Amino acid sequence: MSWEQFLLMRHELLLILAAVVVLVAEIATGEDKNGINHTAIWLMASITVVGFLPAPVGKLFGGMYVVDSLRLAMKNTLNIGLLIVFLQSARWLNSKENQGRVSEFYLLLLASVIGVNYLISSGNFLMFYLSLELTTIPVAALAAYEQYKSRSAEAGIKLILSSAFSSGILLFGLSIIYGVTGSLDFSLAVFAGAGSLGIVGFIFFFSGLAFKISIVPFHLWTADVYEGAPTNISAYLSVVSKGAAVFILILTFFSFFRELQDVWQGVIFATAIITMTVGNLFAIRQKNLKRFLAFSSIAQAGFIFLGVIGGSELGMAATVYFVLIYVFSNLAAFGVVNIVAVNSGKESMEDYNGLYRTNPRLSLVMMLALFSLAGIPPVAGFFGKFFLFTAAAEGGFYALLIIAVLNAIISLYYYLLVVKAMFINKSENPISGFTSDFYTRLSLVICVLGMIGIGFIGEIYDYLQSISFGL
Amino acid sequence: MTFTQIFFYFLAGVIVAFSVLSVTTRRILRAAVYLLFVLMGTAAFYFMVNFFFLAAVQLIVYIGGIVVLIIFSVLLTSQINDRLDKPEMAKVVIGGLVAFGGLIISALTLWQYPFTASSAAEGDYSVAEIGRQLLNYGEGGYVLPFEVISILLLAAMVGAIIIAKRIKPKTDD
Repeated sequence: MSWEQFLLMRHELLLILAAVVVLVAEIATGEDKNGINHTAIWLMASITVVGFLPAPVGKLFGGMYVVDSLRLAMKNTLNIGLLIVFLQSARWLNSKENQGRVSEFYLLLLASVIGVNYLISSGNFLMFYLSLELTTIPVAALAAYEQYKSRSAEAGIKLILSSAFSSGILLFGLSIIYGVTGSLDFSLAVFAGAGSLGIVGFIFFFSGLAFKISIVPFHLWTADVYEGAPTNISAYLSVVSKGAAVFILILTFFSFFRELQDVWQGVIFATAIITMTVGNLFAIRQKNLKRFLAFSSIAQAGFIFLGVIGGSELGMAATVYFVLIYVFSNLAAFGVVNIVAVNSGKESMEDYNGLYRTNPRLSLVMMLALFSLAGIPPVAGFFGKFFLFTAAAEGGFYALLIIAVLNAIISLYYYLLVVKAMFINKSENPISGFTSDFYTRLSLVICVLGMIGIGFIGEIYDYLQSISFGL
Repeated sequence: MTFTQIFFYFLAGVIVAFSVLSVTTRRILRAAVYLLFVLMGTAAFYFMVNFFFLAAVQLIVYIGGIVVLIIFSVLLTSQINDRLDKPEMAKVVIGGLVAFGGLIISALTLWQYPFTASSAAEGDYSVAEIGRQLLNYGEGGYVLPFEVISILLLAAMVGAIIIAKRIKPKTDD
């Protein structure tokens, strides 16, 4: 092993470096912590940009660490997500209550995203499990960040307990899988002769991962945690954590579990239907926007499964493409909710009545984000859903497709409810107009560019298609 | 039945009994002590299959570290004599049924599977060899997980600090 080979791990190494810089910056700065905001944001911005430079691919540590063009694209997608979360957090961290713990916030999110990067690159179930824990545990501490709110503490404890429980199930599944296949390596699994025990192990593994993606019936923690946690942490959970779990799910399904295709197609068929339906039906009833976005993100996870179920190259490309668009759309929606909450303390849907009159630009961004989540044509969300539906149709899953289309129509209804509140409903005392800070505005501009641009730049999808693989 | 088999079933019975006790007792300190016996039983299993290093780690880390830590935090945070609320009957029934169903499915499939003896038992499991594997970066080496754990521990410590640290909000005066 030579030094050049470490370049394969450049995403992770740069993120670790950034975490160390943030840690040292805490000692170096005095009372005013605003410098740490700038440092962390610009470090993350440069890491995100460096991530896009062409890089060597290969394996390290005897196959425990794998990197190829597809995994690089996945990592870059989620790194953009973290950058946007950072941009949206600066204003909130400058508030009086949070001044004392600025560097900890960045360090924990960086640690979590180091886990995300290792998770995507893992070629072995040991690395898979460790990095999965590394993505979750720091975020659980951050969910409890707002000590002066009891809901935040509740969110932290709910997240840590549900993730410990799901890890237990996952580990039990992994130990069964190790028992029947004799290998923890993704590329060496032999399920032939594993019989029903292999299937039981797989189901446990899937249940553990389903907790992280918040698939129904493993979604019960989602709404409470999203509501109680600080808004930017909810945004991180709904985009980066979920995206990472989806990516590793599709990677393991298409490699390690390829021999169990019949089993996982059945499992995904059933869970996709109930996830979309339950997520949508509950989203309609929500009055709090954070809970609303929580259920909407559950429903979106059901749609993502349309890309996984066919096991095709097209499905893999559609899934990565959809998550890329979802990063921009969902973070735009959470960004608006966050900045409104920081400025006015309001987060219920009624408070948004008449927002267009006082904050026209914010309302426009929110509208674009909701259109993108619903899948309305000019915005990229439409193309994302379109390719997912195409992938399911190509696999011949027409029944699933019909249910998905019906669900897309239901989702249109509740996304438009928010748009109606902002643009049409009158309000006696609307949220007064305010100006956002530079970083929040920058993050919303990036999101809008992403939501509009990705749909029309065909090269992005073509590139993803060229690096994807099927069964 | 050989002595080893009798001992095995005895240990298994102890572990199952104390596991059930540890989740059904309503006094938290007792739950921690029952857990201690479960972990000791597991260590005894490792001794039975001659994995002495793993058995020692189990004793030192789980019993010496984790159970003691649990007991400390119980002493620091709650009243020893407090009892947990009695769970509702409906919850007990549903939870019990689900757990029992899971047990039946797992047990039946495990029972039917024709396990073969592993050839790994003849390998070199000396502490020196384990140490070399832990720091080996080649095929079958474990240095990467070893390093990733250190990041996880750092993050966990920082996380514990931000939860525990009392922040006095800066006042304007």
